[in-house]
Formats: sequence, C-alpha cells, structure tokens
Amino acid sequence: MTISPPSFAFVSDLARRETAMLYDPGKEYLVEARLLPLAREAGCADVDGYVARLRTDPVEQAKALDALTINETSWFRDNAPYQAFTEVMLPAMVAARSHVRHLSIWSAACSSGQEAYSLAMLLDQHLPAGWTAQILATDVSTTMLARVDAGRYSQVEMNRGLPATSLVKYFSRAGSEWEISEDLKRMVRTQQLNLSAPFPLLPTFDIVFLRNVLIYFDLETKRDILRRMRQVVAPDGFLLLGSSETTLDLEDDWNREAHGRTQLHRPATTTLQPIALTGA
Amino acid sequence: MTVLSAPSLTDVQMVVDEVWGTFLGTEEPLVPGPAGDLEVGWSAAVSITGEWRGLVSVELPGPMAAEVTRRMLGLVDGLDPTSDEDVADAVGELVNMIGGNVKSLMPGPSTLSLPVVAAGRVARPSDVVEACRLDAGWGGAPLVVSVHVHA
Amino acid sequence: MDALIIDDSRAMRSILRRTVTELGFETLEAGNGQEALDHLEAGRVPDLCLIDWNMPVMDGYTFITRVRANPDWRGITLMMVTTESEHGQIVRALAAGAHEYVIKPFTPDAIAEKLELLGLVAKPVPA
Ligand SMILES: C[S@@+](CC[C@H](N)C(=O)[O-])C[C@H]1O[C@@H](n2cnc3c(N)ncnc32)[C@H](O)[C@@H]1O
Repeated sequence: MTISPPSFAFVSDLARRETAMLYDPGKEYLVEARLLPLAREAGCADVDGYVARLRTDPVEQAKALDALTINETSWFRDNAPYQAFTEVMLPAMVAARSHVRHLSIWSAACSSGQEAYSLAMLLDQHLPAGWTAQILATDVSTTMLARVDAGRYSQVEMNRGLPATSLVKYFSRAGSEWEISEDLKRMVRTQQLNLSAPFPLLPTFDIVFLRNVLIYFDLETKRDILRRMRQVVAPDGFLLLGSSETTLDLEDDWNREAHGRTQLHRPATTTLQPIALTGA
Repeated sequence: MTVLSAPSLTDVQMVVDEVWGTFLGTEEPLVPGPAGDLEVGWSAAVSITGEWRGLVSVELPGPMAAEVTRRMLGLVDGLDPTSDEDVADAVGELVNMIGGNVKSLMPGPSTLSLPVVAAGRVARPSDVVEACRLDAGWGGAPLVVSVHVHA
Repeated sequence: MDALIIDDSRAMRSILRRTVTELGFETLEAGNGQEALDHLEAGRVPDLCLIDWNMPVMDGYTFITRVRANPDWRGITLMMVTTESEHGQIVRALAAGAHEYVIKPFTPDAIAEKLELLGLVAKPVPA
C-alpha cells in the first residue's frame, strides 16, 4: 500500500501553504506513516481514500497538518546553547536591563515545551532576586501548545536530557507522567503563531530561541523569517538558531559571535543598512 | 481503606506502551484489547510491598516470549535460537520495568521484589484478587498484564 | 573510556552494552553490586558505572554508598539506570552520590544525552 503521486502532491502542497514545511518527493513513506493512523480513525480504507476526504474537509486538514509536523525535541537540547544562555546571554541582558529588572524571552516553534521550560529552569536558578521574566512559547500546532500548558511529560520524555537534580527539583509525579511546578508554568505563556505568516503584534524580545524549525523551510522562507525576526529582537538582544542552522547570507542583518561551539546572533546595528531602491 | 487502592487501566496501559515502544520496536505497536485465547508459555511477576502492596504480572505465549528475548538481546534475525535461560531473563526484565513504573503510580515508598519467572503460569498467593487487567495483542498474538492486590 | 554495566538482567546489559559501545566506550559487566566491587578492587576502575537498583546479593544503592566511601574511586561517574522511579528514590540516590539517573524504559538517545550533560561524550561538531 503506497500513497499515489497526486495524493502526495496534494498533501505536500497543503503543508507548504499552511506551515511552509517542505515534503519533497522521497518523503512519501513519512507522509504515509503519519497519515495512516488518521485514515484508520476516519474509517478510510487507505491513505489515498483519506486524502480524497482531506480535499474537502478543513477540520481533517488541521488534524493532518498536526500529524505531519515533526515535534522532536528534548530538554536542554544540544546542551551548549543553554550553557551560552547562562554564561553569556543572561549576564549581558541582566547588565543591560537593570532599569526594568525584567527579561522577555521567546521560544519560537516550541513543540511540547521542553525548550521553554529548560530556559525557565535556568532563569529560576540564575536570575537575580527581584527580577522577573516572561517566556512566550509559540508553535503552529495547537496540540503542542496544549501540551505546553499542561506541562506533563512521559517517562521517556523525562529521560531526554533533563538533569536528575532538575527532575527532583521542578517535577512531581502525576500518574504515569511527571508534571512541572506551578512556578515554572507561571513563567511561560503560550500563543499560536505561524512563523511563515506575518507576525502578529509582538513585544520586543531580549533573547529568542528559534531552533530546529528553519530546516523544514525553503531558502526564501528562511530569509523572510530571519528578516522579520530582526524587527522583534532588541538591538542589544540575542537570537539563537539550531546547531545545523545559520543566518546564511544575512550578515547585513545579523552579526555572529561564537561562544564555544555555539553561534550567537545579534542584530547588526553598526553595519550600514542597504539603501532601499524602491519607494521613497 | 485508601482512595487509591489500584492503578488505573489508562496509566498501566501507558506504562506498558512505553516499555514496549522503547525496547521492542515501534514499527509493531501493541494493540489494545483481547487478541484471542492466550496459551501461556511464559509468565513473570514482581511484588510490591510498603505503602502499597500488590503484584504485577505479565503472561505471554511462548513464541512471543522468544521474540521479546531476541529483540532485547539485539538478535535481529528471527531465526536466532534463544535458550530458556535467556527467555527467563528477558521476560523477568520486562516485568521488572513494568512493575517498577506501576509502583511509582501508587503512594510510596514501597519496595520492588526481584522478578519471579516461570515457564507456564506463576503461582500467585491465594489471598490476592485481580484489580486491573490489560489485554493486548502484539504481532497478532495475545498477552496479559495484570495487577493483583491483597484482598 | 571504560564503562562498567551493572545489572542482573543479561538482556538489559546487552541493551546498555550496545548503546554505550556505539558512543565509544569499552565495556565491562557485572550481575550485581558485589561483582562490580570485585572489579574495582581488582584494579579495573572504569570512568563510568551504569547501575541498576534492584539486584540480588548487593543492590545498586548500596554499591553507590560503597564507591563513595572510597576516595580512590572519586573519579568514577555514577549513573543509575533503573525502573525505580518514585520521586523519593531519585532524591535518595542523588544524595548518596549518584551523578545522574535514567529511568527504564529509556531510548539510546537518553543515555547519550545524559552522558553529554556529564561531559563524558562530546557531541560531534555539526558541519
Ligand atoms: C523539531 S521541533 C523543534 C522544537 C524546539 N524548538 C527544539 O529545538 O527542540 C519543530 C516545531 O516547529 C513547529 N512548526 C513547524 N512549522 C511551523 C510554522 N510554520 N510556524 C511555527 N511553528 C512551526 C512544529 O509544530 C514543531 O513543534
């Protein structure tokens, strides 16, 4: 049983249009594996039958998109960026924000929330007394956002990169799962946000984690997102990408600073902005 | 009588799914619900004593126990022979993992026993009653995970 | 780097052996805490111990307290790998000197990520 070329084309167009995610030819097996459970649930004989239904059913489309997104994540993913957070970004921002004593952080494409809560743990440990911080966690998938709000994780998820000392400090048992403390939950706010569409009204962020999501987009979409990011990162703030993601040829917009194995991106304010040739 | 005298079926199901999904391959998931008559080839049990007292057991048909063993030992070729000793060891570890996680569902602290494994059925103490029973199928064959408590 | 795998189940030792061998460790095995201590006393001192909790003869918790009582073995990293998953048990193991704690069932990634946290495995530098 394999997905037919027209069905595959429909699904990859849908994903591209709604989330900018690319499912190139060769990814048929992936699409099929992810849609098969939905096809069965909907009582369709096979994935092609299900795609026929998708064409006219927006509710099913939303479900299919949810199933197609790759949500792979872990606590303190890759470790080094979080070291850079504690050692470089946090001290720099604490020095720069002493007048407001508040930090504003964005976990863009937060998946099930491990990134946002990892940052919340570090803030709990390292933010000076009397300071507050707010972490905005956004994703295109409302299923994922509901998981962030619930703050509950399975045993297998808990094992993935969470130091045991943090487990005992911040989590309690909830049936077969673990639930994060109310204090950390209060630091994190969720909002649905599609990175490939124009941003809604957002505050300015001191630190943005935009990790392991640009890889799913084509070059033009990546560039567009990074340009728009430039508008919401504070001039003295930081942007962090995934370890396999770079700002490509956007050096005009972003300066890069290396901290160990981690690349920190900062808005380029010292370089001249290219002069717009169109419009006045 | 405490409110929480037995774990919920949903929680037990989640525990078993995680153990299965992690060590026995996700390509062939565990299917909930009875999958025909179970002819017990191997079974294993652990007991929990302390704040909560109970018995967690797993019963499998012989060929499934052999397949579990092959997967845990990393013998990919379905034809690799497995000795009874290997099967007893693997099925014991299976119930140890499930039992340990079931223990955490209940108020603690409690102690987990070492697994008892038998070709055929393990003999349960006469004063226990079944509190929770998970019927499932794997590769078309049935298996049962159950939790017994002292009456 | 050497890892000593301490678990009474051969199947579990096999899973752990495959996982850490892949990460570049040489392995040594023991079926309980006493056998593991015998290795250490015979001079086979590893960089890392992966330790089950419930075992016959000597359990993993006792093993940890014994290792911590000997200053010669201070350099060994101790990681529990066990189905014991009560909050209080994890606290106890850490207080006794365990550096990390992995709850069974685990994926191979989980072991690798914990060893990265402990600085025992370097993440390959991305291209
Ligand atoms: C691989 S996860 C990355 C999670 C986390 N940032 C990390 O590094 O571990 C990718 C996430 O991007 C989300 N995503 C995909 N397309 C998106 C879009 N157009 N806008 C916002 N989020 C998107 C997915 O729903 C998924 O949760």
